[in-house]
Amino acid sequence: MTQLSRRELLGALGGVAAFALVGCGSSDNGNQSLGDKRVGAMDKFGVGDQFKATEPLTFSIAMLDNPGYPYKADWEFFTELTKRTNVKFNPTVIPLSDYNQKRDVMVGAGNAPFIIPKTYHPSEEAYIAGGAILPVSDYVDLMPNFQDKVKKWGIQAEIDAQLKQDDGKYYLLPGIHEDVWLDYSIAIRTDILTKLGVQAPTTWDELTTVLTAMKPMAKPYPLSDRWSTTPEGPGANCLLAHLSDAYDTRAGWDWQPYHWDTNTSKFVFPGAQDNYKALLAYLNSLVSQKLMDPESFTQQDDQAKQKFGTGKAFVISANAQELVNAYRKDLTAQVPGGTVTKIPRLMGPMGATKRGTRLENGIIISSKAKDSKNFVAMMQFIDWLWYSDAGQLLAKWGIQGQTFTGNVDDGSLKLASDVDWAGLNPTGTKKLNVDYGFFNGVFAYGGSTKFLDTQFTPEEKQFQDAMAQRKLRPSEPAHPLTADEREQTTLWATALKDHVNQQSLKFILGQRPLTEWDTYVSELKGKNMDQLIDVHNKAADRFKKNHG
Amino acid sequence: MVTVAARPRAPQARRRRGVQATRGYRVFQVVNGVILAGVLVLTLLPFVNIISRSFSSEKYIDAGRVSFWPRGFNITTYRKVMSDPLFWINYKNTVIYTVGATLVAMVLTTCYAYVLSKKHLRGRGVLIGIALFTMFFTGGLIPNYVLVNSLGLRNTIWAIVLPNAINVFYLLVMKAFFESLPLELEEAAAVDGSNTYRTLLWIVLPLSKAVLATMVLFYAVLFWNSWFTAFLYMDRQELFPATVYLRNMIVGATTGSDNASSSDFGLQVGANIRAVTVVLTALPIMLVYPFIQRYFVSGVMLGAVKG
Repeated sequence: MTQLSRRELLGALGGVAAFALVGCGSSDNGNQSLGDKRVGAMDKFGVGDQFKATEPLTFSIAMLDNPGYPYKADWEFFTELTKRTNVKFNPTVIPLSDYNQKRDVMVGAGNAPFIIPKTYHPSEEAYIAGGAILPVSDYVDLMPNFQDKVKKWGIQAEIDAQLKQDDGKYYLLPGIHEDVWLDYSIAIRTDILTKLGVQAPTTWDELTTVLTAMKPMAKPYPLSDRWSTTPEGPGANCLLAHLSDAYDTRAGWDWQPYHWDTNTSKFVFPGAQDNYKALLAYLNSLVSQKLMDPESFTQQDDQAKQKFGTGKAFVISANAQELVNAYRKDLTAQVPGGTVTKIPRLMGPMGATKRGTRLENGIIISSKAKDSKNFVAMMQFIDWLWYSDAGQLLAKWGIQGQTFTGNVDDGSLKLASDVDWAGLNPTGTKKLNVDYGFFNGVFAYGGSTKFLDTQFTPEEKQFQDAMAQRKLRPSEPAHPLTADEREQTTLWATALKDHVNQQSLKFILGQRPLTEWDTYVSELKGKNMDQLIDVHNKAADRFKKNHG
Repeated sequence: MVTVAARPRAPQARRRRGVQATRGYRVFQVVNGVILAGVLVLTLLPFVNIISRSFSSEKYIDAGRVSFWPRGFNITTYRKVMSDPLFWINYKNTVIYTVGATLVAMVLTTCYAYVLSKKHLRGRGVLIGIALFTMFFTGGLIPNYVLVNSLGLRNTIWAIVLPNAINVFYLLVMKAFFESLPLELEEAAAVDGSNTYRTLLWIVLPLSKAVLATMVLFYAVLFWNSWFTAFLYMDRQELFPATVYLRNMIVGATTGSDNASSSDFGLQVGANIRAVTVVLTALPIMLVYPFIQRYFVSGVMLGAVKG
């Protein structure tokens, strides 16, 4: 009920706003017309400059309240920020639990704060038709630090591909990383490896060898996986995503109904690719040799954790947090001498490469902000806080000499002796985020690889260093769909995904022989696979023609 | 529920025993007692389980080994929640919002229902229609927000009180109750010179304690548990009720979205924050129940006598 009426209203608002915009004319593009909106702005603001408003300013902001570090108005972060930039926030405090819903209502009602951080693509798309948010791409010339990093790290293609709308503009200022940050991989029992005298696997084929060696010690499967209850895939979705990266297709968490085929420079349907078939054949071989627990695709996470934690299975999908908090903790308690580590992601036919996005959640800006006489100052401020090295350092680690020492460039950055964050400095009594307001997800994300490295434990740093060696594969080209196309493809894609998931599971578990692959592909065709891919390819051509 | 059903039967049973209950009736009583005891246990056990979870340690909860007795006694989560001054500010808000909103809602609903119960009132159909209309059609989320915002109610208690002051379903229940009161009583009062207001206050309301108590309880529970209006219209933490606070805690603890919650402490909170929340929010309102219960009973008796 609420959903429907909200959407209807957004549509109606959109109509009104579009009408109003037509009346305004189209002269407000770029920098020239902003002459009367420069109050408080710096005349010269460039890369590396400290932003400081020429008079005290206050900007309204949607302030996400994370119960892990509940919002406090008197955080050192805010006082230091005001000291450095002459800017104060007027926050609307929104509980993390329902942040998106309140944002929807406030934007829909035309009552949103100017700055709305923590917005994940594509949720900004719902606001575009209503004209409630600013096409930020028109104003990035006010943001030297953002432009600098986008250019330096070659991120423009990714922004185009992922964020640009059919009108050639984007509406979300994304958080940007210098390199893809991968966390998920597999965890493996190192004491078992030592006992068997084998090396940790580096490829999927080596994994088969290792699992075969482990088989006699396992009860009864050496690999029993988890993450089966979260979409999109048929089960063991982390492992499938990991595999599909190595095989250059899409599966599990990485599933999407289209995949860029670099050989033909066309979008193809991943569930019908030969690569996908090879992936299924690999998993089928693990299951049929009884190296992988068939329950991997259906069991609850807790069951999988239990099998690993009690020493029945030796290999499981992992991220840094689960490795320390679940696997290692359980092993220490229940299996004497059990040790576990997260190994670099396994390689397949694609070799030492990786894929992934370097964009993060970001900021949308209320259209109303553009009418403010402080608009230019606000954009400069956003640029400084979220995109300059100095701003990012302040937001993440705080104040040199007080909350941290050393510096990012030579890797010497350390928390002050009395400050802790996520167990990096366990003896610290004060919490960097709870007590000071630094390392707050609203303000601190993205940045250079060196900057990211400062937050890892030595163990995780090793994993990250290994992953940094892998070459990043180029991202797929931009192909924004129109609203109609989006609706139609979503319908097709849902039916297709269901079929792919069901049949994939059957192929993997051996309930359907892979000799029936061609029949399966024709089943997909019957579910509009070709039409779906056609829409994506046409959209790519159209975008190239109009904006390429 | 169980006790409400059982009580009126008690005097009857005693009377029977005096006259020497039949064998069949005694068997019935035993069977009845056993079944009702079973129902009682079924109703209570989930509560017991929740309470023991709230005092258990994460290790046993995750292993699914907590049933009816706390294992690995642990009050970390209680301490985390209750040591936060903001929690108590929000709890105070909950009490204020509940009391204020229930009071306003009772006055308005009673007046409206009493008016609607008068069959001779001209335009009664329209008044009922207006109420019913809102039951089937709502303005929607955003129009409501715009309205509350432009009335200047945002960040005040009125944003919570006014939009929910009349619940149409409760209104209809009350109207039906008032209609069932004998007309003669009010006519007699009128003959003695009592005007409408005096009749309502001195004749009708004292006879309606059963429905009033029910409505107070319904409204109070509604406002006590509600979080959405407060979440929508309040922009500052110190205005939130405890429900919003705890809801945020639950989501924060169970998503574990940031590394700060990745300590033993965070895991413990994640494991039993739900149970702690249920105990902290449900207990106070459950304690009100026994005090209002006798009015339910008297309501049942009232019906019995008239029937």
